[in-house]
Amino acid sequence: MLKRLFAPVVVVMICALFVACGSKEKPLAEQAIKAAEEALNSVKSDAVKYVPDKVKSVEDAIKDAKASFDKGDYPAALNAAKDLAAKAKDLAKAAADKKAELSKKWEELSANLPKMVEAIKSRVDILSQSKKLPAGIDQAKLDGAKTGLASINEIWTQATEAFKGGNLTDALAKASAVKDKAVGIMTSLGMQVPEGAKG
Amino acid sequence: MAVDQGTGTSDTWDATQWHEVKKGETLSKIAERYYGDSGLYMKIFEANRDILKDPNLIKVGQKLRIP
Repeated sequence: MLKRLFAPVVVVMICALFVACGSKEKPLAEQAIKAAEEALNSVKSDAVKYVPDKVKSVEDAIKDAKASFDKGDYPAALNAAKDLAAKAKDLAKAAADKKAELSKKWEELSANLPKMVEAIKSRVDILSQSKKLPAGIDQAKLDGAKTGLASINEIWTQATEAFKGGNLTDALAKASAVKDKAVGIMTSLGMQVPEGAKG
Repeated sequence: MAVDQGTGTSDTWDATQWHEVKKGETLSKIAERYYGDSGLYMKIFEANRDILKDPNLIKVGQKLRIP
């Protein structure tokens, strides 16, 4: 009899406990999600340029935390969001490291590619004056080198403009394309390819 | 076409084209090899004015720039 009377009371108490816990975790989860979003927003503009995958990973994690929150699963939302602000802040360092790495590559390519292009231009100019082309080089190869050289100049201009515009990733992609084309032309003309440009 | 490996520098990005003079070679022969036209030998001479005083005088082992 006594047991029957107390059973609903126990159930009510357990429910109250859950509600109490939930109501305690709701503001904490909300706070954690807000902190993560703010931390991400403060670094996103730079981070997305250099570590887009990592930015997406944090964004997805925030979305998951929000989804749990919207479903009323505050403990899960809190658990998902609690470390995200720190992860978002880490993006700033990851982006800075990547930017430094890309800047170093850009410095190397921008200092050396013009020398390769100059060497190719010099050879193409002289071959164009030749009465007879050397063994291993025919008119098609020379014409291909001329076309390639024009293309290189165009892409290089785009690369330097991208760099000036702060788009280091794009600048490097274009510089790499210039390097590959230059290596191809040098090879087709039987020229020595600088070791640094190989690979 | 034969390619000589660069020997004039330790800079891995140096794009200068080098040729080491071998016995019996003249600037005309070198020009013919690289340009197909022996008449263009003065291009090589001009590019090496710092080490060549006379286009007819080159030495075995000399490293010449091939523009």
